[in-house]
Amino acid sequence: MQLPQFEYIRPKSLAEGLAALAEHGDKIAIMSGGSDLLLNMKFRLEGPAYLLSLNGLSELQQLEKLDDGSLRVGAACTLTHLAEHTIIKECYPALRAAIFVVGSRHVRNMGTIGGNICLETRCWYTNQSKIWRDTREGCFKTDAEQCHVIKSAPKCHALNSTDSGPILMALDASVVLASHTGERIVPMREFYQNDGVEHTVLKPGEVLTAVVLPPAKGRSVFRKLSQREGLDFATGTFAAAVIGSNEQPESVSLVLGSVAPEPRVMPQAEKILLEGGLTDEAIDAAADVARRALLEVTNLFTPTFYKKRLIKVLVKDALLELRDQRVRG
Amino acid sequence: MAKAKIKNNVPTKSRTKEDLAVVGKNWSRLDGADKVSGRSIFADDVRLPGMLFAKVVRSPYPHARIISIDTSEAEALPGVKAVITPEDAKDIWIGISQPLLPTENVTHVGHEVAAVAAMSEEIAAQAAALIKVEYERLPELLDVEKALKEDAPQLHEKAALNIGWQQEEEHGDPDAVFAECDVIREDTYITNPSHNCYAEYHVCVADFTKPGKLKMWTPTQTAHLFQQSLAAGFKLPASDVRLLTLNTGGGFTGRTSTRPHHFLAALLSRKAGKPVRLRAAGDEEFIMCRAGGKVIYKLRSGASKDGKLKVIEADLLFDTGAYIESQMIVTLLTSKYIHALYPIEASRYRGRLVHTNHLPYYFHHGGGIAQFQFALGQHVDALAREMGMDPVEFNLLNAVEEGHTTMEGAHYASCGLKECIEKTAAMAGWNDKYGKLPKFKGIGIGIGAMASGAKGLYKHDTSAAFVKVTEDGKASLFVGLPDMGQSSHTTMAIICAEVLGILPTDITVISGDTDTDPLDIGAFTQRGTFNTGNATKNAAIDARDQLAKTAANILEVDEAQLVFRDGKVYPEGQEDKAIAFAKVVYKTLHSREGRFVMGRGFYNSPLEKGTMAYSFGAQIAEVTVDPGTGVVTVDKMTASHDVGRAINPRVVEGQIDGQIFSGMSQVLYEETLMEDGQVMNPSRLDYKMPRAFEMPEVDHIIVESIDPNGPFGAKEVGEGPIVCTMQAIANAVTNAIGDQVTEMPLAPWRVIRAIKD
Amino acid sequence: MAKQLIALTVNGDPYEVAVSPHQTLLEVMRDSLNLTGTKRGCTAGSCGVCTVNGEQGEVILSCLALAVEWDGRSVTTVEGVEEGNELHPIQKSFLEHGAVQCGFCTPGLIMSAKALLDVNTSPSETDINEAMAGVICRCTGHIKVKKAIKEAASVLREREVNHGES
Ligand SMILES: Cc1cc2nc3c(=O)[nH]c(=O)nc-3n(C[C@H](O)[C@H](O)[C@H](O)COP(=O)(O)OP(=O)(O)OC[C@H]3O[C@@H](n4cnc5c(N)ncnc54)[C@H](O)[C@@H]3O)c2cc1C
Ligand code: FES
Ligand code: FES
Repeated sequence: MQLPQFEYIRPKSLAEGLAALAEHGDKIAIMSGGSDLLLNMKFRLEGPAYLLSLNGLSELQQLEKLDDGSLRVGAACTLTHLAEHTIIKECYPALRAAIFVVGSRHVRNMGTIGGNICLETRCWYTNQSKIWRDTREGCFKTDAEQCHVIKSAPKCHALNSTDSGPILMALDASVVLASHTGERIVPMREFYQNDGVEHTVLKPGEVLTAVVLPPAKGRSVFRKLSQREGLDFATGTFAAAVIGSNEQPESVSLVLGSVAPEPRVMPQAEKILLEGGLTDEAIDAAADVARRALLEVTNLFTPTFYKKRLIKVLVKDALLELRDQRVRG
Repeated sequence: MAKAKIKNNVPTKSRTKEDLAVVGKNWSRLDGADKVSGRSIFADDVRLPGMLFAKVVRSPYPHARIISIDTSEAEALPGVKAVITPEDAKDIWIGISQPLLPTENVTHVGHEVAAVAAMSEEIAAQAAALIKVEYERLPELLDVEKALKEDAPQLHEKAALNIGWQQEEEHGDPDAVFAECDVIREDTYITNPSHNCYAEYHVCVADFTKPGKLKMWTPTQTAHLFQQSLAAGFKLPASDVRLLTLNTGGGFTGRTSTRPHHFLAALLSRKAGKPVRLRAAGDEEFIMCRAGGKVIYKLRSGASKDGKLKVIEADLLFDTGAYIESQMIVTLLTSKYIHALYPIEASRYRGRLVHTNHLPYYFHHGGGIAQFQFALGQHVDALAREMGMDPVEFNLLNAVEEGHTTMEGAHYASCGLKECIEKTAAMAGWNDKYGKLPKFKGIGIGIGAMASGAKGLYKHDTSAAFVKVTEDGKASLFVGLPDMGQSSHTTMAIICAEVLGILPTDITVISGDTDTDPLDIGAFTQRGTFNTGNATKNAAIDARDQLAKTAANILEVDEAQLVFRDGKVYPEGQEDKAIAFAKVVYKTLHSREGRFVMGRGFYNSPLEKGTMAYSFGAQIAEVTVDPGTGVVTVDKMTASHDVGRAINPRVVEGQIDGQIFSGMSQVLYEETLMEDGQVMNPSRLDYKMPRAFEMPEVDHIIVESIDPNGPFGAKEVGEGPIVCTMQAIANAVTNAIGDQVTEMPLAPWRVIRAIKD
Repeated sequence: MAKQLIALTVNGDPYEVAVSPHQTLLEVMRDSLNLTGTKRGCTAGSCGVCTVNGEQGEVILSCLALAVEWDGRSVTTVEGVEEGNELHPIQKSFLEHGAVQCGFCTPGLIMSAKALLDVNTSPSETDINEAMAGVICRCTGHIKVKKAIKEAASVLREREVNHGES
């Protein structure tokens, strides 16, 4: 598979890059590690006239401890760099766990955290070559008003498979979005949208420049289910963060990933744990909420009955693990 | 011309293993240094002056009538050098009944419709996209059982009920034997469509620029049959087709016949007057040719209450796809394997190849036999359990032994099956584990037999070899057997070196060019070590006999007394008189009258049909099933195989490992998920195969039942192991969860469905 | 789109080569530089046969890397692993432990193993699996490959010790 042609832009500074973005509107794509974008271009899902490479920008590759104790991670840090970084290992082990299961080491050496957060949604019918897609009608992602995954759906149901997204949401991280007119900070919990086509709030001309992790507090866990260990997108991921004791948690944050166009926050389940504490019954009830929350997806090759069961197991096991974790001061 | 008589004067029976100089030792593959340093050339690495690049236009639909093909825009694109459409391919046939390019209907997604050759892959792809094909969709047959229904549309005029081929066989009186049985059991199993998934993608380079002379570089398991079929397709004498094999990036039963891309590259090359490379791009790998289609196995068997298996009945339904090229092989083979393991009294077999609007299916690694054994092995296991018998005990009670002749005439001159079962069970600790493991842990056994060679699939089963001895005391060995990774060339060098009394590293194996290679049917049906091995041995003996004359003269002894060993030649028992092998060669080649040393050898099964040797094996799998997710983890495999003499034990182990991987991969992971005739997971990412993390520990036991007919007693290890693996793992899963998962692959959701809770 | 001249060092050899922005490192190495040791597989990041090592010795999938991004940088391919005329201990070990069958995946496996052992000569089973999971091997089933890596690691460890002493 070959790439389509494009003009390559390698800015010397972020400002220069933002200017290029402003200039070329929707004709320009942002490339970080390229491990997702280039493949989608090979599939002719994207054919930008210009490609803006973030790779030369050292300002996006820094890890910085801020005054309030939070950690600012440059968007262009590779996943390997982060997974091996002491601060991440020690303070954000669940994030480390999430990063470390992305693809293979090969993919993690190339892929960046920014790219992983912005990862395009995927589906069986669309993440295929152009010639493959020509064997059937188009969809919301290409040139038609339909979704092959859920035939009756009014919008795209491609899955958001980012492994880092759910845990970043659970940890209450934010992202810094910059454009040539300025910067805005968006909490990760508000970054995604439940639409496979417009799956983030990123606006044209904006670059995700950094992720800001609040000071490590409480306990967190990340789990990924996949048939194969190594080089496999998830059949489901789950991230949870709890502050406080098992009996009387102060805050509970639960996010289910890889089951919808956005990582799913589970307020109802959060409430159950917040009110009931991490008891067996509450955990079971929370897992049940997660199971029920799953849509009846048709046409997938893991039957719904199975996927629902899987999600319940995933959530339950993760919460049990979380409960057993040492409560941090 | 008088036929040269080959004298077999190496008394294999009388020599013990310790007595062999190089056979039975561990040797690294001779081409290994090239492979680990990036020097090996594969077809995709071939660069020829002026070479063009091809792209094929394929049908997007499972079944449709071609209304028109417009190539004008493509032809006008700068850089395009040739465009071919069905018009250009008239009268070129693949196999029996498949036109190279369809003139009327496309019959499967991916069906070739047209092709272009251009100055770059990029231009070729652009041009292909500019070819406009208009279609009218036709009713589709996408399910093998529905295709059999009376009201189903019929795909080919001659195939009523869409049955393209049917084989029925009966031995003894099955109904009468069933009537005598105390226990009768019936099961149905399914194996799903799959792809061989070789590391090297489908590729070929064709040079048809000289009129009437076709040269082709392509990975293959059989250069000879490729040559024959290309010659037939282009109506050329075989000698005008030259196959160049280079390295082959895996075979796995998938590279045993030419496919459309071979012909298309040649046609394009002829039309453009330039060499052409055609390579599968990305998902095309899964769409242009795949392995097996869906198969449904209905099995019934009966036993007496003392545990003796008496009768087996099998009814197999194969989704064979739109055309039959050589798929009848699968019924010919599976019908034989009903009898292979147990001395039953009667059998009944029916195999039907049913047409659907899928591409013409071939087979996956295991040739249909391993997949059949997935069914039969589980069925027999279930029968044993139904009778309250331990499966190992049951298999030991029923297994065939040396000297047995099956109901359809296969004679086992050597057979270590029982020894394999006993040793595997002992090593795996079966008695301490079976029935005693905690919930969701399981142990299971699979046993198998495998023929070395299969005369009858083709007229003969010939392998030939030449040995040219060079004056520095080394030798060149010419064989036509491809090496797809199984290390067959090194194995042949070891055999040759043993006979000549030199080292395998002294042998240069020359192969991969049909202009120089002697005839060899190829590397399938596990015939390499046995057939080409015998041919090589015979050729080496012939060469040695020619040298013996000189040595006998120098040493003034009788030729029959000479020993060739360790680079020396000496009269038996008088090593102090030894002269260097190189010296004998030099003296022979540079004698006053002038002589040339060229050994010739050949082997073909002396039987009307079938082979002289069978190998046997047993494997025990230990698994853990995750009751939450249904994921099966294989914890350990214990494998014991009777391969006859292990010519190169390291390679034997490697073959066992590779097949355990492949069997495990097929039984737990591999499936080309189909929807509307299209493959939904055409990638290395989504077509799941295990990788480093998933692989279990493997314990090997090599059982050497020295075969009287094999080269130094060797048989095969080409597919013997894989026939045991799938059933062993499936049986272990049954043992873990208490119920059979009858459909392969045992994907997690199927396992969960089978765990009743 | 205009071609651009890039300076790319492969296995220590400096090349100047004109590339289009949309050409991958794999395409440029194989088609412009005729370095065919690195294999072309899925071209989609999932088979690993195109693996090369980057400047820090890290594994890179050359099918998903733009050649222009490698201007002024260097890579090591399977053709550059030998030490003088000797096979590298990893290559030797692959050869001696039967970790090579068809050989098509071998370049990817060798480069992945090298990236691991260059920084860790005492890898655990998990380290090895993690380093190798990006590469398929249909023939060997990874079993002998893992063994070869463990053996190579012990040779390299010994070498480190000897080196340390001298
Ligand atoms: C074989 C294979 C396996 C994979 N397995 C996994 C997996 O298990 N889990 C997983 O999560 N991912 C997986 N991926 C996807 C991908 O490689 C990773 O998610 C990776 O982290 C993406 O990062 P990148 O820098 O390469 O992204 P890129 O490809 O550079 O970008 C991805 C998307 O984000 C946009 N983007 C990138 N950076 C920015 C930015 N700073 N601001 C705004 N937009 C931006 C791009 O325009 C593009 O749309 C896999 C990929 C491959 C090829
Ligand atoms: S060719 Fe690069 S990963 Fe397959
Ligand atoms: S040796 Fe053939 S795929 Fe690895």
